[in-house]
Amino acid sequence: VISAELKAFLESGISVLIGTRDRDAVPECARAVGARVDAGGDELTVFLPEATSAACLEHLRANGRIAVCVSRPADHRSIQIKGRAHSIRRASAEERAFVERYVAALARTLTFVGLPERLTLRIAHWPCQAVSVRVESLYLQTPGPEAGTPLPAARAEAGS
Amino acid sequence: VRLAELRDCFQGVIPSILATASADGEPNVTYISQVHYVDEAHVALSCQFFNKTRRNIAENPRATVNVYHPVTLDAWRLRLRFDHSETEGLLFEKMALRIQVIASHTGMSGVFRLISADVFDVLELERIDGFLLPAETAVAPTAAASDAHAQGPLTELRGLQVVSERIARAADLDGLLTDTLAALDDLLGFSHTMVLVPADCPDRFVAIASRGYEEGIGAEVALGEGIIGTAADRRRMIRLSSVGAELRYGRAIRSRVEEHGHADQLAPEIPLPGLPDAQAQLALPLLAGERLIGVLAVESRDPLCFDEWDEAFLQIVANQIAIAIDRMQSTEEETAAATLGRRTRKIVYYRNDDCVFADGEYLVRNVPAKILWKVLRQHQRDGQIEFTNRELRLDPSLGLPPLKDNLESRLILLRKRLSDKCPDIRIVPVRRGRFALQLDCDVELTEKECG
Repeated sequence: VISAELKAFLESGISVLIGTRDRDAVPECARAVGARVDAGGDELTVFLPEATSAACLEHLRANGRIAVCVSRPADHRSIQIKGRAHSIRRASAEERAFVERYVAALARTLTFVGLPERLTLRIAHWPCQAVSVRVESLYLQTPGPEAGTPLPAARAEAGS
Repeated sequence: VRLAELRDCFQGVIPSILATASADGEPNVTYISQVHYVDEAHVALSCQFFNKTRRNIAENPRATVNVYHPVTLDAWRLRLRFDHSETEGLLFEKMALRIQVIASHTGMSGVFRLISADVFDVLELERIDGFLLPAETAVAPTAAASDAHAQGPLTELRGLQVVSERIARAADLDGLLTDTLAALDDLLGFSHTMVLVPADCPDRFVAIASRGYEEGIGAEVALGEGIIGTAADRRRMIRLSSVGAELRYGRAIRSRVEEHGHADQLAPEIPLPGLPDAQAQLALPLLAGERLIGVLAVESRDPLCFDEWDEAFLQIVANQIAIAIDRMQSTEEETAAATLGRRTRKIVYYRNDDCVFADGEYLVRNVPAKILWKVLRQHQRDGQIEFTNRELRLDPSLGLPPLKDNLESRLILLRKRLSDKCPDIRIVPVRRGRFALQLDCDVELTEKECG
């Protein structure tokens, strides 16, 4: 579902947010510390810091429904991914390096919008849980009149 | 924690996160540019597009927002329940104004606008513990940053006193503005300021005084454009924090609109007058009565430079500047009128209706009209200034009755009408039975039949 171009975008150290909900449809959000595209574009693994994602992780274990918003701070280019979490586990030591690279890249990106690295490098990121998500749909979310429309480009490229 | 204590998080410096869910339980998460503080129990979010968030809220009123402190990056969670939407009123106006400023800056007036101010109950407010790992080294706060505020309102009140004194004592407009802007800088730390006044062409404003810019004088802004033009248009003070962040957001929308083939709806993006890297701006309309005298614009590179106290405080300065400029302009106008050109009044006499119009407006009718017409004509023909009641009585064209003609009362009526409608044309009694015509304007006389 996720094209190579989109994969590069998702893994480029940009902001990753997740949304979940409890059994009463009360929503919850958290900031993830990295996203990795797996299984040839059908799966996304998001890394959620244990310190700040307890409620989201609980929701995901209960119902699996997840929204992921990836957004580039410099120009607000944003994609919303909807899917189901099917596996939740503590991130491995080898994934820690990926997460740390992500946080460093995010911190660097955020300096361009005025946030100092001395703060952004401190965003809680370890220990974290790796959540594997089966991707169901993609939407354009860059702010504007077309926000919320299904992403046609990604679908067209899905077969490639 | 009180909601009011999180106001810095609501300035839009760091975008907040909003989660909603549809009725069938599909979550949605998005950035929002700003959370507006309404009161201790309510916040408002802006609806600019009918998007997924908006549809979710209609189905399921629950929402969760995470906000971040722009300096410490502390995170807070607000649990919300949608209460109602507002499409008019103070809150709507305030939020719409902000969006209009960004829209006009990025050439998107009309495309990008506030649809509604969505008001939410704040059900719960909690700090997100552990969002930041402990700092390896404690970073000392910069001393200069909060210096002015640390000294409190007394310092600012003293500053205001000096500013007010300079305004009151200024001898001319240039001195007034230069001294006032210098005082705002020296005493209160507002180092980038401009005063703009209406330009010669309509609906444009031009900077006639500036402080802190290499080139500032002469910069022009159109009515309704950008923060200055919008403040002038709406006659409301506008504060924008984090101009950079808001503009990035506006530009993101602009590029989406362009990509979707609606570029023809967009005006060119206009450059910000003043600092190219301004992070906070405040524009205050200068009003004297109902008249817009100009705009006071203040800028800073610090995104959190202005707070509500500065708004209140600068509003007082703006009011004083407005009254002072107005006073000086009216003195100038009087002097100019006395020394320079006189105005020309167009006086039209409608023969078959016996009435006189001055500059297209009805002045007087019947005998007083005929008297005025005769007097003005004779004055124009041979420069006559003094007239006698006798010569009026002997003029058959005035149609005065032979006895009890009430000429005096008609002259009084004419005098009154003139002083009300045309004070620069006067009929002044000089001695018994005589009066003089006094003109402070030129007159252009036309005689017409009315249709």
